[in-house]
Amino acid sequence: MTAIAPPIPPLALDTPGALSIRGLNKHYPIDGRRLPVLQHIDLQVQPGEFIAIVGASGCGKSTLLRLIAGLETDYEGQMQLDGKPIRGPSLDRGMVFQDHRLFPWKTVFDNIALALKHSRLDKAHVAARVNEHIALVGLQGFEHAYPHQLSGGMAQRAAIARALITQPKLLLLDEPFGALDALTRVRMQQELQRLWIQQRSTMIMVTHDVEEALYLGDRVIVLEPRPGRIRHVIEVGLAHPRERNAARLQSLRQEILGQLLSQAGH
Amino acid sequence: MRRAFNGQPLLWLLSPAALLLAWALAANSGAFPVQLLVPPQAVYHSFTELLVSGELREHLVASLSRLGLGFGIGAVAGMAFGTAMALSRNVEAFCGPLFHCVRQIPSIALIPMFILFFGVDDVFKVLIVTKAAFFPVALAACEGVRAIPRAYFEVASLYRLPLRSLLTEVALPAAAPTLLTGLRIGLSRAWMVLVATELLAGDIGLGQLIEMSRQMLRIDLVMVGVLLIGLIGFCLEGGFHLLEKRLLRWKPL
Repeated sequence: MTAIAPPIPPLALDTPGALSIRGLNKHYPIDGRRLPVLQHIDLQVQPGEFIAIVGASGCGKSTLLRLIAGLETDYEGQMQLDGKPIRGPSLDRGMVFQDHRLFPWKTVFDNIALALKHSRLDKAHVAARVNEHIALVGLQGFEHAYPHQLSGGMAQRAAIARALITQPKLLLLDEPFGALDALTRVRMQQELQRLWIQQRSTMIMVTHDVEEALYLGDRVIVLEPRPGRIRHVIEVGLAHPRERNAARLQSLRQEILGQLLSQAGH
Repeated sequence: MRRAFNGQPLLWLLSPAALLLAWALAANSGAFPVQLLVPPQAVYHSFTELLVSGELREHLVASLSRLGLGFGIGAVAGMAFGTAMALSRNVEAFCGPLFHCVRQIPSIALIPMFILFFGVDDVFKVLIVTKAAFFPVALAACEGVRAIPRAYFEVASLYRLPLRSLLTEVALPAAAPTLLTGLRIGLSRAWMVLVATELLAGDIGLGQLIEMSRQMLRIDLVMVGVLLIGLIGFCLEGGFHLLEKRLLRWKPL
């Protein structure tokens, strides 16, 4: 948009983004009793790693993401990002939800710019950075559109741009493509893979789509429900970008589906 | 129906024109005494006379300033109280039942008591208007704030939004549709009840113009007052609708 973009100052320090979870337990109080949702979760995530979490509904996978995001602060155990304990939301952890959660009264541009309010940049820097991220997710030309004027996929692109603009060390994705049609979902998975390769920030994605988990994840974590526990960790071991129908992905898919179905059996 | 209306922007003029025609025909037919059913041309004549003499301006200024003052106080207080009731369980617990009880009392039912307390001058009129505006605005503010989805606040906390942005860029726009409806209803009620207070007591104002003219059997002037009240109410509401449309242009149709 502008002829000469001002130099963009870095927001967060370029520290790695290593997540360490040890002995995490989470309960919800239901009718005066403590209902366990997550039990003994241990997880070490390397900087720049892509973790996909799959599991049947009710296995607490969304709760796990909300805990890492700091949206829920009542838990037992240890959670640290680069050695710092997680006590609440922070700009070094971004999050994308299944519903885009854009503010309907703000344009795409203003929705994304809102994420920078906390850093108190001047207008020119905000505009430059927002435009850069609008281009990053391929939404040029829709800067001034309101969310209701966007398709589901476009709205989710805007939500991803909003989450990335603060340059989080860790991006949490809670079934981000779950509400999209099959074709858009495949396209968005490719886009996310491209962004991840480009940004190299750590990403943790919760999904119920095993194929999606295998296509994107360096490791796929299978959760078991009631209470949520880690049942299995699968090293995918293929370089990115991946071939969607690689033989290894196919066989892993059978394996994971088998595990998920055997859970449902009992 | 809506389509036809949109396609022909002047269609709405038809019904007032028909009413005017019927009125003119009936009044000029000689079937009714002219003092009671004044023909439209006589009403128009009286209107211009009032306008030229400056008397109409005095009535209008008196009525509209009472409305502005009373509605302003009522709306601001209503928004503050409604928000407090939405956010605080204590305020709701202590004041909720009283609020919902007083809300049921029609503003005009308070007129006799208020006259005793505050006399028949401006204070009483402004206070009645304040009351009329306060309750719908407070109710709308309370419901508007309560209905803000928690998801919005989660997003705000994820991005560590400063309090000022949280209030002006998230909470206020989220509550705005409900709040604006409440303000529009409050304004309309305030206008109606103001005319009622002016009819009962006072020396100036559109309501008083009607009452004094009635006592002098000047039905032409009564009709000028009645028509103006309707027209002003219509303009206030229409103006508010335009404001709502402009402020809520982000909403899907």
